[in-house]
Amino acid sequence: MGEKTDVWQGTLALMVLRTLETMGSQHGYGLARRIEQTSGKRLQLNYGTLYPALLKLEQEGYIRSHWGTSENNRKAKFYELTKAGQRQVRKATAEWEQTTEILSKFLTEEA
Amino acid sequence: MRKLRGLWKRLAGRLRGSKADQDFSAEIESNVELDVVDGVHSGLSHDEARRRALIRLGGAEQARQAHRDGRTLLWLENLLQDLRYGLRTLRRSPGFTATAALTLGLGIGACTAVFSLVNAVLIRSLPYGDPQRLVYLFTPNPHLKIPAEVVCPSYGDFYDIKRDSRSYEDMTSYEQALFSMATQGGTQRIGGARVDEGFFSTLQSAPELGRAIGAEDNQPNRAHVAVISHSLWVSMFGGSADVLNRTLQLDGTNYQVVGVMPPEFEYPFNTDLPYGEAHIKSTRIWVPLALDAKKRADRDPNANVSVARLRPGVTIRQAQGELSTMMARLDKQYPGEMREWGALVESFTALSIGPVRPLMRLLLATVGLVLLIACGNAANLLLARAAERARELGVRAALGAGRGRMIRQLLTESLLICAGGGGVGVGLAFLFLRILPRLDPGNIPRLNESSLDGRVLLAAIAFSVLTGLLTGLLPAWSAARTDVTEFLKSHAVRGYAAAGNRTQNILIVAQTAMVVVLLASAGLLIRSYINVVSVDTGFSRSTVTFRVDLDSRYRPGPPQRDFFKNFITRLGALPGVQAVGAVNHLPLSNTESLDFFWVDGFPNVKDQMSEGRSVSPGYFAAMNIPLIAGRTFSDADEAPDARTAIINERFAKTYFAGRNPIGGRISTDEKQSQWSTVVGVVADVRHTSLEEDPGPQLYRANEGFDGASIAVRSTLEPAAITAEIRSTLRSIDPSLAITDVGTMGNFVSQASARRRFQTSLLTAFAAIALLLALVGLYGLMAYSVSRRTREVGIRMALGAQRSHVLLLVLKNAAALVGCGVGAGLVAAWLTTRMMRSFLFGVSVHDPTTIAAVCALLLLCGLMAALLPARRAASADPMKALRTE
Repeated sequence: MGEKTDVWQGTLALMVLRTLETMGSQHGYGLARRIEQTSGKRLQLNYGTLYPALLKLEQEGYIRSHWGTSENNRKAKFYELTKAGQRQVRKATAEWEQTTEILSKFLTEEA
Repeated sequence: MRKLRGLWKRLAGRLRGSKADQDFSAEIESNVELDVVDGVHSGLSHDEARRRALIRLGGAEQARQAHRDGRTLLWLENLLQDLRYGLRTLRRSPGFTATAALTLGLGIGACTAVFSLVNAVLIRSLPYGDPQRLVYLFTPNPHLKIPAEVVCPSYGDFYDIKRDSRSYEDMTSYEQALFSMATQGGTQRIGGARVDEGFFSTLQSAPELGRAIGAEDNQPNRAHVAVISHSLWVSMFGGSADVLNRTLQLDGTNYQVVGVMPPEFEYPFNTDLPYGEAHIKSTRIWVPLALDAKKRADRDPNANVSVARLRPGVTIRQAQGELSTMMARLDKQYPGEMREWGALVESFTALSIGPVRPLMRLLLATVGLVLLIACGNAANLLLARAAERARELGVRAALGAGRGRMIRQLLTESLLICAGGGGVGVGLAFLFLRILPRLDPGNIPRLNESSLDGRVLLAAIAFSVLTGLLTGLLPAWSAARTDVTEFLKSHAVRGYAAAGNRTQNILIVAQTAMVVVLLASAGLLIRSYINVVSVDTGFSRSTVTFRVDLDSRYRPGPPQRDFFKNFITRLGALPGVQAVGAVNHLPLSNTESLDFFWVDGFPNVKDQMSEGRSVSPGYFAAMNIPLIAGRTFSDADEAPDARTAIINERFAKTYFAGRNPIGGRISTDEKQSQWSTVVGVVADVRHTSLEEDPGPQLYRANEGFDGASIAVRSTLEPAAITAEIRSTLRSIDPSLAITDVGTMGNFVSQASARRRFQTSLLTAFAAIALLLALVGLYGLMAYSVSRRTREVGIRMALGAQRSHVLLLVLKNAAALVGCGVGAGLVAAWLTTRMMRSFLFGVSVHDPTTIAAVCALLLLCGLMAALLPARRAASADPMKALRTE
């Protein structure tokens, strides 16, 4: 596993958690659409990337899933944040902000 | 923590494998539908919306695979796959699997069995607190030619040592004692000990019920209390809880039971003390020693055993130094007739285990070799199989199986075989433990406590895994070396035979060499055993002997003498009885009495000692001890002023060299005030051990015993004569009993029991090893013959005779066995010298044994090769050519 994927996976996890925090319970398709939207269509998410991330979060206990019915009356699997997930959002957000802050300092100084 | 949780979920995911797969498929499907609905809403046709949705999905199979990899543990998946695959391939060739598992089972079983023995004897902890700090205190006297571990400090010295020494936390003395215990049916002889205060506290062993014997019990007037063993508690009191304060009658005196020891505590066992009371196998009752003031100050050695517990941090060497100093001081302080006692502090465990440690090492080394041979066999089978599977492995390599993955797969297979072998091995070890009590020589400590406990089972698992790696690694490595390009170019099945064959040949040679070592060792032990049991003991083995002990109703002097005279006369009058005689100590009965003596007209030195025996006139005839010169005793010699003696040949040769011993004079008191006249010379008798040459022996005529062993030579069967003896004694005095009934052959058998034990075990293991090696050789020959079918066909088509083909295979086998025997001879030459202490009357490089071993191996080797050779020779050339 290369470094790029690690960063990507880390950020993807945070995006998923954050999206679930703002939107509440959501199915995989909705999550993908929402993340694409939020990124201003700059991110293309395919399920081969999204589902392992969801699975990992579920195994770590940050999210849980259950089968339910979608807004247009279809069976879909919904994901939602757990207590631990809510804590993790705050923690990861703080960490990420710190990282970008440090990094942006470097970038501005370089310039 | 999160990691762990993930791992757990993955494990669970693994278990719910297919259900989770379905669940995921449903989720993907529902997502695609949602996407399609969105697409249709935004104005696309249904088909176009579905097409876009599927593109966005990015390959359902990859998504599924990524999901599955994340969901489960890949290595576990692989392992289970390997296991399944391994089981399937093994099931497909049951012959191979059974042979390999049985072979390894024999090796693992032998190891597990011997380990269970070693575990019980050497490793398992003793029922005493911290036994490493326990020591015995001995006072060997350099002037007495007896073993150092016989005499402990006299009571006077002991209490001085106890008062003044700084090395010990606690110390105690005890005396072994045989008690007659009154039971409902009559009397029973049980082994016991009279123990001083501190006995239980020194050993740090506490009773499971009641209390131990303490200082207050050792007052002479309060001494009638007893602590009993668990086994006695069960047999006498049915294990009932109200045993405390009940009474037992020992030697006519009542003792109150105050405590019960736990089951494993029956100290001292006969194996604890090399020179303990021979009739006591284990101790089942402990009573206070309760010495009076006179005895406590006694400076003459007694029958006591002294045990002490070292203070933490004090070494045996330091304690030894202190004891030496104290004994030297006591010598000056109390000059007497018998002084100059030395000092010897010996480890408690070493004293009992020390003598059997080499035997345990020998057995471990033996089964280690057996296991190696078994591993060699299994490795050879696996190598042959890997060559057979070259095509399969080649295909797998060509399809992209990594080398590590292939090694893992093959190792899994060999580990599976070893798991089977381990199962067989544990079964065999269980059987061995069932047979073990029958082999018990009676002088290996705690042999009967051998069992398959947790540690042994753990060891068995370790043996199995070790074997699996040993056997599997080599074949797996060589198989995984498959060169894909070569394989594809030749697309042959048999490209790798040459390298494999060399390894296999080396394995066979190594196995044969190990078998030579084992067979040579076993052969030397067998010859030693034969030498020992056929040694001239000097007495007749068919003579029936037994012991009679008189009680206090018979006073010393005429009453005791009259009893024995009467009894012996009555026995002599029984039909079929040829001779009857009494003796104070029978040969090989583990009891000995030594006399100092002085010979008239001989340059006597201080401390000349001989084995002394008091016998009745008929003794020599009853034991069939040949008379060499002079005469045996008559009734007249029993008169106190007769002063006659009979000596053995060794005595005569040493002390009457060049003169006639008959009429010579011997004295047994230092002042030489009384002399006895030698009236006869008899043959040497092995008194102490079968394996030691007899020393000087001195017999005197005497029937003034309070107890004696009686020897009866008759033409009757032992059982018949025993019944006659019992009824005769009953008619004289019904309250007396005979004990230790048996033929002298029983004593010889008992004296050679340890040797028989080690010889039979080692021989059995050597036989297993030989069998394994032959199976291995047969397998290799059969395998190479089957691979050379084509070659043989060509040879025969070109005109080779069948006998040539036969010879070809046999020559091949002979070369292998020859190399193995050669290497084995070198190895045996080096290793058998380590067995010197186990041998008797045979040299470590005994040529007869070596020659026999070589002949046996060559013969067996050729027999093992004969069957495959004949198969090769009987091959039909046309068929053989068509096999490719």
